Amino acid sequence: MDDVKVGVFLSDCGKQLSEILDFNALTDYVKSVSGVAMIGRSSEFWRGEGLQFIVDAIKGGKINRVVVAESLPKLSEVNIVQAVEKAGLNPYLVEVIDLKDHCAWPHRGTPSEATEKAKAMLLAAIERAKLLEPIEKLEFPALKSVLVIGGGIAGMQTAIDLADLGFEVHLVEKAPFLGGLAARAGRFFPTDDCAICIQSPASDVKTITHTSKKCVYRSGFSAIPNLNILANSKVVGVEGVPGNYKVTIEKKPRYVNELKCVRCDLCTTVCPVEVPDEYNAKLKTRKAIYMNIPNVHPPVYIIDESVCKFHDCAKCVEVCPTAAIELDQKSERSTMNVGGIIVATGFREFDSSIIKEYHYGDYPDVVTNLELARMIDGFGPTGGVIVRPSDRKPAKKVVFVQCVGSRDRRYNPYCSSICCMISLKHAALIKSAYPGTDVTICYIDIRTPGREHEDYYERAREMGIKFVKGRPTEILRDPETNRLIVDVEDALAKKFLEIDADLVVLAPAMVPAEGTKELAEILGIELDKDGFFKEYNAKLRPTETKLRGIYLCGGATFPKDAPTASLHAHSVAIKAAKFLITGKIIKDQRTAVVHEDYCGDCEFCPVTCPYGAISLEPTSEDHLVARISDLLCEGCGICVGTCPLNAIELRHSRPNQMLAQMKALMSVNGTSKPLVLVICCSECGHTAVDSSGMAMMQYPANVRVMKVPCTGILQVHQFLEAFKAGAQGVMVVGCKSDGCHYEVGSQKAEKKVELARILLKEYGIDPERLKMFNMVFIEGNKFAEAAQTMTERLEKLGSLQLMGGS
Amino acid sequence: MEHVIEEKATSLTFSDVVKGRLGGKTMTLCYQCGTCASSCPVAKITPRFNPREIIKLSLLGEKDEVISGDAIWLCCSCYNCQERCPQKVEIADVIYALRNIALKEGYIPNIYSEFASALLNDGRIVKVSRFVENKRPTIGLPPLQPTGVDALRKILSATGFDKLQQKKEGVS
Repeated sequence: MDDVKVGVFLSDCGKQLSEILDFNALTDYVKSVSGVAMIGRSSEFWRGEGLQFIVDAIKGGKINRVVVAESLPKLSEVNIVQAVEKAGLNPYLVEVIDLKDHCAWPHRGTPSEATEKAKAMLLAAIERAKLLEPIEKLEFPALKSVLVIGGGIAGMQTAIDLADLGFEVHLVEKAPFLGGLAARAGRFFPTDDCAICIQSPASDVKTITHTSKKCVYRSGFSAIPNLNILANSKVVGVEGVPGNYKVTIEKKPRYVNELKCVRCDLCTTVCPVEVPDEYNAKLKTRKAIYMNIPNVHPPVYIIDESVCKFHDCAKCVEVCPTAAIELDQKSERSTMNVGGIIVATGFREFDSSIIKEYHYGDYPDVVTNLELARMIDGFGPTGGVIVRPSDRKPAKKVVFVQCVGSRDRRYNPYCSSICCMISLKHAALIKSAYPGTDVTICYIDIRTPGREHEDYYERAREMGIKFVKGRPTEILRDPETNRLIVDVEDALAKKFLEIDADLVVLAPAMVPAEGTKELAEILGIELDKDGFFKEYNAKLRPTETKLRGIYLCGGATFPKDAPTASLHAHSVAIKAAKFLITGKIIKDQRTAVVHEDYCGDCEFCPVTCPYGAISLEPTSEDHLVARISDLLCEGCGICVGTCPLNAIELRHSRPNQMLAQMKALMSVNGTSKPLVLVICCSECGHTAVDSSGMAMMQYPANVRVMKVPCTGILQVHQFLEAFKAGAQGVMVVGCKSDGCHYEVGSQKAEKKVELARILLKEYGIDPERLKMFNMVFIEGNKFAEAAQTMTERLEKLGSLQLMGGS
Repeated sequence: MEHVIEEKATSLTFSDVVKGRLGGKTMTLCYQCGTCASSCPVAKITPRFNPREIIKLSLLGEKDEVISGDAIWLCCSCYNCQERCPQKVEIADVIYALRNIALKEGYIPNIYSEFASALLNDGRIVKVSRFVENKRPTIGLPPLQPTGVDALRKILSATGFDKLQQKKEGVS
């Protein structure tokens, strides 16, 4: 390896800094440090001539490590690093520090002390730079194919988007027909349109006009050549890595050949088996061979294997003109390779029968909103007539009950967010079709956020729909007349009402789709406390999961109305496409590396890694060692902090680099105050220090800042090393414990600090010398105050005497 | 204006006092859906008692209205409200807490006070009438035994019940 030749470049930010810091003293000092081959001084080094100077030095072979003191490093570093890379030096051999916001500004009142601190900062940067190692960029294959799980409105739309973008898309739907909840719901708010209409694909075919509002069956959707629709199928296994997953799909037998069926309906005519039709709220019967509604996709019958008599009957086989019926079909498993996976599994209605006092499932005239939707649908079992299921007579009095199992701490504490609108929509549809119907909505709070949604509420009142502010305690049934009675208090009128009803419609909570938990296990992704799929970050990464390559959209993350699900679906398509579109994933090797000779058998790190990047693999000596996936590793170092054997290191933050930095920062004091080492994470922690400097908040110059990728990397012995290196106090500054950029890093650090404090006490060192803080960027004032307080505390405690005398 | 602020300050304390009692912590979960009220057998027959209103007034800190009225004493402790509350508000327990606060402040309906004093004096809530005593042998029941009022007094004294009762008697 070549000799280390460090170039040190000091920017005085247009002479602003040289008014406070003694730049001559700084350059003299840097000259004396071994390994420094070149010193530059300019008003800026992150662009123009200054940057060219660095580039020339690299090209001329004068330097092979770069230390730049420049303001706003989080901005300037990007420019510098890019130029360095172009000049032919590995960009990870650059260290940029901020003498302005971390030194000159906060210590402007004590310039000579600030200069001494600047020396320590420069020394730390140089010592670290000397130990830096080149880091390579790796390339991983990314297949241009995507698996979409769930064929509801969200899944279909994202599948179309990705297919239009040229990806090979596999759309898997568990049910025999596509459409999901929206297909059953019939119409959706705020336009009262068919819920199932979608925007047609971009393909240029004679019969397709590119307007929105296309029924799925006439959208051209099923004819997209690079879209593979797998209904009646489910995902049973996923292995592999982002960019290249191997997925196993199980296709249940349909018993009808999709390629042969001509939907002539002869089979359903001859089928002798008749069962209640669940899809249509059991308001009609269907045959063992059936289709849900006429306009579904795929337009192919299915045999209900739980009731069909198969070869004992086989009447359908006899009449089928195309020999499409294949009673001997079996489940088939197939595998496919995809680059990314999108979960669009949606939600379903809560099982209202759990709430006994509402007698759902017990009284036939108590139905749910989804069942009512089937009655409202002209294609539905009653042809659009609202009836009492018990005797099929028209329902003249209808009562809606809101929040059935939602906003209910016994079942689902959250507000399902769409049920008020669903009930308002249904109430208005009933009232406009049958104005004589008496409609009442019992509610706790009516919630109508969203464009044009409040109009529904207003219109409902205009139409004469009654609103009772109260949650019924019970639904009773008159034993003689069989009519229902809703027992409720109207809190606003302060009246107890016993509302007589033909039909009671429950608005059940919306809960995660069946099989959500199993799928989460297969994919290795998390669920939130309510059982929905958890997105990486609600604001910034609303369609991503913690695992690159696995995405979420639609109701899988929370109940959504059709417009919002659609928005989510289009958004996720872009995210997945961005990840895969180049056909490769480029990722640098700022990752963890394992010393296999002393790693062994403890299993701590695979459990701790937030990204599932660590697996245990047997070695030839018949014991397990940790293997880190460079693709999955995000370089946080939480595994490093967890390893009891110090067998893991980060390539870009090795223990020797950290120790050298620590020692350098503590090597020069220059103030009369006790030295404080601040260990910051490079995310919120370090920016809080930035912001205190930017706002020119003052704190003493004995406070020295060191950056680590995440505080989760820290180990207990490192705090002890800091004291040994000369720190009188140590502050650890991480992100908020629930806002850590690496999920759990700052929580881990907090525990580590707690443990170290116990240890310090045992050693006779006041534990108050070590403290953990959680800060965000805007809390610069909090940092300045904490630094001041820590200094004062240490002054009171007096000088720290370590055993062995130092 | 100052007067209003002062009143507000004191009333806030009342709701905090209730929250500090057994079951009181759950009170803030109430969103006034009225499931309790329509579940309540008492509220159905008299407008003098409504559990939803009691919770609301307690949250608003309307101390005087809550503890000086007779509403809280009308609860029959059937726990129907608590059973059906979707927010798991411990309504019946809150009403017990309110009764205890009322008692401390000297508010207790006479009938309860009479029960208490009878308990302290005779060891029975209701005095046994001569008629009842005479009736017992005719249906084959043995005569009533003495109540062991001394032991009872010791228990009531250890729990501080006697002091509350003395306070009440002093007040009235």
